[in-house]
Amino acid sequence: MPFDDPALLAEFVTESREHLADIEGELLQIEANGANIDVDLVNQVFRAIHSIKGAAGFMGLTRVNELAHALENVLGKMRNKEITPDSPIVDVMLKAADELSGLINNIESSNDVDVSGHVELLNQIFQNCSAHVPAAEVPVEDSAVDTPAAVAEQPEPESKPTPATPSVAKQPPTEPTAPVKQTAAPQVESSIRVQVGVLDRLMNLAGELVLGRNQLLQSVNSTDGNSLQAVSARLDQVTSELQEAIMQTRMQPIGNVFNKFPRVVRDLSAKLEKQCHVVMEGGEVEVDKTIIEAIGDPLTHMVRNSVDHGIEMPERRMEANKNPTGTITLKAYHKAGKVRIDICDDGGGIDTQRLKAKAVDKGIITKERAAQMSERDAVWLVFHPGFSTAEKVSDLSGRGVGMDVVRTNIEKIGGSVDIESTLGTGTTIQITLPLTLAIIPSMLIRSGGRRFAVPQVNIVELVRVRGSETAQRISNVKGARVLRLRGTLLPLVELNRALNFAGANDKEDAPDGPRQIVVVESGQFRYGLIVDEIDDSEEIVVKPLGRHLKSCVCLAGATILGDGHVAPILDVSGIAAKTDLRTHDQETVQDHSNEDPLRSGERHSLLMFTNGPEEHFAVPMTLISRIERIRIDQIDTVGGQELLQYRGTSLPLLAIDRLIEAKSRAETENVHVVVFQIQGREVGLIAAHLNDIREVAVDIDGTTFREPGVAGSIVLDEKTIRMLDLYELTCKAHPNWFAEKKIEQANAPSSCTILLAEDSGFFRKKAKDYLMGEGFSVVDCEDGQYAWDHLSGPDHGIDLVITDIEMPRMNGFELTSRIKTDPELSNLPVVALTSLASDEDQRRGAEVGVDDYQIKMDRERVLSAVWRLLNKYGKTNKKTSPSTAKPEGCFS
Amino acid sequence: MSASGTITKSTGTDLQLATFYVGELLLSLPIEFVQEINRNLELTEVPHAPEHVRGVINLRGDVATVIDLRRILGFDPAVVSSHSRNLIVRAGDESIGLWVDRIADIISISSDSISPSPANVSGADGRFFKGVYRTESEIVVILDVDEVLSVE
Repeated sequence: MPFDDPALLAEFVTESREHLADIEGELLQIEANGANIDVDLVNQVFRAIHSIKGAAGFMGLTRVNELAHALENVLGKMRNKEITPDSPIVDVMLKAADELSGLINNIESSNDVDVSGHVELLNQIFQNCSAHVPAAEVPVEDSAVDTPAAVAEQPEPESKPTPATPSVAKQPPTEPTAPVKQTAAPQVESSIRVQVGVLDRLMNLAGELVLGRNQLLQSVNSTDGNSLQAVSARLDQVTSELQEAIMQTRMQPIGNVFNKFPRVVRDLSAKLEKQCHVVMEGGEVEVDKTIIEAIGDPLTHMVRNSVDHGIEMPERRMEANKNPTGTITLKAYHKAGKVRIDICDDGGGIDTQRLKAKAVDKGIITKERAAQMSERDAVWLVFHPGFSTAEKVSDLSGRGVGMDVVRTNIEKIGGSVDIESTLGTGTTIQITLPLTLAIIPSMLIRSGGRRFAVPQVNIVELVRVRGSETAQRISNVKGARVLRLRGTLLPLVELNRALNFAGANDKEDAPDGPRQIVVVESGQFRYGLIVDEIDDSEEIVVKPLGRHLKSCVCLAGATILGDGHVAPILDVSGIAAKTDLRTHDQETVQDHSNEDPLRSGERHSLLMFTNGPEEHFAVPMTLISRIERIRIDQIDTVGGQELLQYRGTSLPLLAIDRLIEAKSRAETENVHVVVFQIQGREVGLIAAHLNDIREVAVDIDGTTFREPGVAGSIVLDEKTIRMLDLYELTCKAHPNWFAEKKIEQANAPSSCTILLAEDSGFFRKKAKDYLMGEGFSVVDCEDGQYAWDHLSGPDHGIDLVITDIEMPRMNGFELTSRIKTDPELSNLPVVALTSLASDEDQRRGAEVGVDDYQIKMDRERVLSAVWRLLNKYGKTNKKTSPSTAKPEGCFS
Repeated sequence: MSASGTITKSTGTDLQLATFYVGELLLSLPIEFVQEINRNLELTEVPHAPEHVRGVINLRGDVATVIDLRRILGFDPAVVSSHSRNLIVRAGDESIGLWVDRIADIISISSDSISPSPANVSGADGRFFKGVYRTESEIVVILDVDEVLSVE
């Protein structure tokens, strides 16, 4: 045995790996530099290979030594600029470096591997140019003998005044080792090697500490002792900090994964005769090592896909007026406590028509469904099992692994994938990953008397169906149980049954019982889990299940609860697979049953709630930022104003019964706060009891209940519901907030005239009122045709058009399209109003030339858009817009 | 891990066996396999688990699978009694509990005195046994842990 000291051998392997880690990137850089050789860079590679060679020779690793030696020879010449690196040469070198890594990874058997092919190729390169310096070869040969081999390559650099080699005779022993140390030193400072076993142990301890804390918190809550509370608060904090610190030790830069992509792309594009280059950003973003390990393969697959299916052949790119070299951008960044990775290519994009046709062919979707599908949904088809977009499956990216596997793998680690593609311009895939897998927020539920945890990332919402509504909202469609939820049908899975618990039928026997439903999502696929009880949310430590339980696809692991009991963690995609929920069925199922008569008109998504007994109110969902549930005692009253202390600031609250004609709020322990933004502030509206969120399409009566703060009323399910005007309500409660604006308005011009096309009388009047309130003259039209007639008439005097989308005779798209294609009118700004801002509408709007898209009820934004556009198109001339008109999100 | 290695290597030296009952059968394991014995019987059932898995327990912060030895050996499932115990063995990087009906003594024997196990012991499949040892009154069957744990 040439290497009988295993410790030394292990040390060699670790060190060599460190040396080899960067070589690939460096070689690629050398290739990119071409004839313009960066001597320092070549030197760096040279030294790395040289160290490996020396140590290998010393340890009797002959194959490693031979290969490193041949590689070193070529690098030596390159350093002396005797060889100009080009693709074929670097190719050979890269392959040799790969082989070297392979040898080192299997060091025990490395002496049995045949490396002569690589050595021969390298020697050829070496010899081709060394004809005129034959002497060089001999001393280099010597260098293979033992470690201080550095003596040998000095004869070569002699010609080049490399800084460190002024005198060959004296320097050799120190020169080659010193620079090696130099490169290694900063690494030692910036990171330390920690055994994974130690880290895992630390992690376990932190986990236990978390459990201990949970236990303590639980007992404190039950006994109510003040001192205990302080202790637990402290413990809570310490635990969290310790947890964070330990997590930090496991964090690795995502660049570790990214770094291999330049090579992957280079090799693949060469094979496909395409030209691509890779741009990488955010390689320093750190994620847990488990995630680094898990993300490698899916990322590689997607990058390969981008090269293979995304980037077009150079000729085609030129025809399309693109740079013949395609760009693939990898970008990692933090977003909302998670890590995002974007993989963008500027290739051909996904041809959704072809995709749909193929999906129909394969029976994944029906023809009808394909016709209705939005572009976005169609692009998502690539994630369906058994789908591959390339016309012929190449051996490169279509190696039996589809995008569906990629998606599943990413979801397995708690991430999600999104895809966006524009035909002709490129595709962007966006991956969202958790920072760590070890501790996750989750919701505890009960089913069949047992407790389970559901990861929060999978939960969309919690729905409680009251006993009285069960029969109405839960029904059987095509043999499957579904829940009616806001106009769609959501497939339901009874957890008891999915998990084969005895007595699973009990619930079925009581059709009137209330149901707790956890709406979960895995990928784009949603369904509802019927559970017995929903307990509480808790941060849980994920523990793996033993080998005997690997077959339990419904479970993603287990955790230990505060009371020491074990609770399995549910795997929502596993449950979906087990219960055979089919995704495409769900997509086609739309609830047509009880809303048909309402479907004719425009649809609004409304939050319905009651405040006083039997008094119903509604607020458009589009205006709501979020909804909070609070205890009554959290509300402070300061100078007659109700406030909620919240996230370090105080949120002003509006009480309906003080602002409009309404009964006073029902006495309850908890209320909901509907948070919205107005005048750049956050305001909360108190709602005693939330009823539902529904998409409705009904006529709004703008007269009967009209008062400042109430926009109008609708009748739904034989109940009269008053639609609140949040702007007016806020105005009434806090007139001083708007005072400033009033003053500025006084200076505002009244000479701008706006054409308003809107078929609903209610909205037309509403919009006209607030536009006139802002000082504009308004010409209102009942539909697009009237509007067009006015515009095409002589001397229309219009400065801006605001149009609804859905109108009889001529809709908003057509009106806009006419305006924008008319030479006289094309300079007229157009704001489109919609009640539901769908992506599809926005896209169509942008196509026909809509300047801005706004939601009907959002008075502030509509006005700010109007001002912005008037300024932009120079319609205001000397006049200035109120400073309060913020140029915020055009596409909300 | 290899149980066979331990037994054959210790030829001539004394071998310590932890013995326990599963049903009427007196089984044993070389003591070095036994990590601990506990009364932690608060099992959490695992849905869709194989029949011979009784559930999982909290073993000081780790989730350990508990195997019903009776099921593995082809008997009726075990019943909980005041004598029931979990015998925790270390298998690779995980700890696994074996549910046994009663713990008996630790005996020291010479490994020479182990005889090959018959194809069938009291109706249990012989493949789970490494050999038998006869005391004056009883037969102690030496369990093959690897074989037991390899049942899927």
